[in-house]
Amino acid sequence: MNNIKKLECDVIVVGSGGSGSSAAQAVAEHGLEVIVISKDPLASSDTKICEGVMTVRQAGEDSDSEQVLANNINLAGGDLPDKKITTAFAKDSKKAYDRLRVNGLRPHINTNRNTPKTLAIAMGGHNKSRSVGHKNSGLSFGHVNWDTIVKFNNIKYFEDCWFLDIVKSACNQEVVGGIAYDACAGALLSIRAKAVVIAAGGLSTLFFPKTDTMRGNTGDSYAIGIRAGAHLVDMEQIQFLPFCLASPPSYEGLLAGEPATGSFLGVIRDKNNKVILDSVYLRTRAECSEAIMRAVADGRGSPNGGAYLDMTANKKARRSGKFFMEYLKSALPSAYNNARQALGKEAGKANIPWEVRPSAHYMMGGVRVDEFGRALTYDKRNKKIRPISGFYAAGQAMGGLFGSNRLGSTSLTEVAVFGHRAGEHAANYVKRNKLKINESDFKDQHEKFYKMFNHKGKFKAYELKLDLQKKSWEYIGAARNKTGLEKMSNYLNKIEKKVKDIYVPLEMIWNQQLIEKIELQNMILSAKAVTFAALNRDFSLGGHVRLDGKRKKIFSNPYSTLVFFDSLYNINVDKVKREKTKFKILLKYKTNELYRLYSAKLIRILPEALRDRIIENKYKKILGSKATSIELQAGSLEAAPAEVIR
Amino acid sequence: MQSNSFYVKIILFRGKISSDIKYLYKKKNPSERPMVLDVLLQAQQERIDDLSFRYGCRARNCGVCTVDVNGKPRLACRARVKEDDVISPIATLPVIKDLIVKRDSISRQLIGFNNISRKNNLNVEADKAYHNLTACIECYACLDGCPLHKKNNLEDKDNSAYQYGNPFSFLKLYRLYIDPLTPEVEKKRIIEKAEILGLDTYRREFEKLKIKCGVGIDLKNEVIKPLLDITYGDQVEKKYK
Repeated sequence: MNNIKKLECDVIVVGSGGSGSSAAQAVAEHGLEVIVISKDPLASSDTKICEGVMTVRQAGEDSDSEQVLANNINLAGGDLPDKKITTAFAKDSKKAYDRLRVNGLRPHINTNRNTPKTLAIAMGGHNKSRSVGHKNSGLSFGHVNWDTIVKFNNIKYFEDCWFLDIVKSACNQEVVGGIAYDACAGALLSIRAKAVVIAAGGLSTLFFPKTDTMRGNTGDSYAIGIRAGAHLVDMEQIQFLPFCLASPPSYEGLLAGEPATGSFLGVIRDKNNKVILDSVYLRTRAECSEAIMRAVADGRGSPNGGAYLDMTANKKARRSGKFFMEYLKSALPSAYNNARQALGKEAGKANIPWEVRPSAHYMMGGVRVDEFGRALTYDKRNKKIRPISGFYAAGQAMGGLFGSNRLGSTSLTEVAVFGHRAGEHAANYVKRNKLKINESDFKDQHEKFYKMFNHKGKFKAYELKLDLQKKSWEYIGAARNKTGLEKMSNYLNKIEKKVKDIYVPLEMIWNQQLIEKIELQNMILSAKAVTFAALNRDFSLGGHVRLDGKRKKIFSNPYSTLVFFDSLYNINVDKVKREKTKFKILLKYKTNELYRLYSAKLIRILPEALRDRIIENKYKKILGSKATSIELQAGSLEAAPAEVIR
Repeated sequence: MQSNSFYVKIILFRGKISSDIKYLYKKKNPSERPMVLDVLLQAQQERIDDLSFRYGCRARNCGVCTVDVNGKPRLACRARVKEDDVISPIATLPVIKDLIVKRDSISRQLIGFNNISRKNNLNVEADKAYHNLTACIECYACLDGCPLHKKNNLEDKDNSAYQYGNPFSFLKLYRLYIDPLTPEVEKKRIIEKAEILGLDTYRREFEKLKIKCGVGIDLKNEVIKPLLDITYGDQVEKKYK
């Protein structure tokens, strides 16, 4: 074993995106040594390619109290969110945003309020004006994350480096470090550290190419997490964006629009031209996805397995039509460009309907953590939940913040708030901890991973990966049913056996087969967690659409699903009860939702000329606002035309 | 009518050996106009299962998929490919394997920069020049044709920083420089760093400098020129205006 490099630091951070950079900064500011492990180039994460709109409490309105924001997230998430975590989110969002600004994030400023300028329109699901847009979208965040990691002399970073597993001590089960594969150097890194922060993103690549996120989202966070003993929570809750492209191949999966794009008169139609969902702009992403996937399941889908987003009525309106075009082009410019390039000129002019299909966008579940980002497990001896000492997760890696539905623009806040919280707690933990790290704890892991090289076998990892991606979309994608989930479960058992028979050559430098195998294993384990969690919830809720199940009754008792390993590394499932929002608050929220929907339906049935004038005025209000000069880009939920604030 | 398949040449590097592969791309439908990335994904699926290349968002945002097409840097996800095109790793960075190049010797040039005080009023606007620079996706297309970057020893594959700068590193420095919250002391450091990275070379070769940004930022006039002006003052004004 010549190719093992031994390193030591205080905290390992896995991932260099929004969460990873925030965590690394928090640790580095304590004067501790950090090693950042990133398989993609520095800061090339979902944060870099996102819409760049961030939730900042009170940016738009002083009445936006911590309680108001926390309630908003809890209710949107079907009461699945962990209330301690949503409270922490609401409490820290401003501080987290200011930290990014100290690092170089520069929003436009509302000089009257002396706050960052919010979008003119409340983002989907928000009840206050608190979404701050940024020039060049996620790229502006990408630069800040990059700068933050590069800035500290006590942060070392490794690109092109795959973090393999957390190493725990044999006696007390505390974290003592981790193992990584440095593909450029052709070496295994064996890193001693008292804490590890997993900030390695989501699992959307399970559904590739039906996804609009970074390729690196191979479920690493969840697989590493469950292997290290953590519980995974809400794993059935994957957020799919309904209006993504189904063709041509180069554009497959990319964002074409959001529910808001449909504007006042947009509807979804099946292949028989029948309206399957109206008032699209007021619907959640999940509702739109469900409508499309039901049509597909019934054989009424479009040629590429989707449906049609029909906005032609908006365009045809005599007075408001031209405003609609302006709105369509400016609300989500990069999504619009994707659609125009992919679907052609006539589609670009909204003269014909767009063929759309859902795409995987965000994992709302993840490693179960407390409000400090500590990964949680079940302690059999004391029969209670306890943190795993030294193991943290943040950002898309963690679960418990969004429950069954994520409000637009909240993920950037999630990464900044909980990346920092995890780093901060880890730093303090390391400082207190007098643990002596024993080299022998690493020995088994060295051998295990070293053995992966030069492995004879008849399967190719890449081929198995492609097959897994197809099956994942079919059985655990945007629409699910019991038969499919059971088939998936069997399939995963079979493919797990094949993984043992994968060919991996000896070469140490950039061993592609090894990389594919590592990622495949993580994808399989994540898919397993999703499948088991999905079987454990036999009705539709938020991102989890069960075509064969009933809808959740709004007054039923909320619970989250749990998935974890037992002592024999078999997957177990459980449920955890969640606190229900008070009836009065819930009723108010639901009434408001219904009121908006019925107002929208009313507009649709008004006489054409009157309707046209009303809509024209609404557009003028939105487009006339200065805030629209900020270009909003791919992935965003903003610009619901009916939700102009004040 | 165009045929339903066509040949593309892919140049791969393994160890010290390079090999040319003639790959027959099969269109998924007759009207398909594939991108370079489509070719690479299909080649991996059909023929070379261990083909190593980078990609990320497939939408021109993440900047990691840059390869050379017929000798010029292009983003694989948004570069159309046609018969007999040659795909190779970008020539301006050391190749690790196939189309993968080592990128981090560039970011390491800036370790220790970006020091903004915490005590500022954060509610300040950055001007347009600043925001123009955050459009950079770090694709490294700008290394092509850079007379300064050319001086670096590309054989070095350890984790150390390159000695000489490039349009990207200067963009990063200049962005920090024009950040309204960057303190004067730090600005001084930034200019010193620019000089250490060899800004002087641009001064001498400004007229014939041909650098192209992958996403259309006017690097010459929005990064290099203002940096030269700040660093070398009036002299340059007279000489190059």
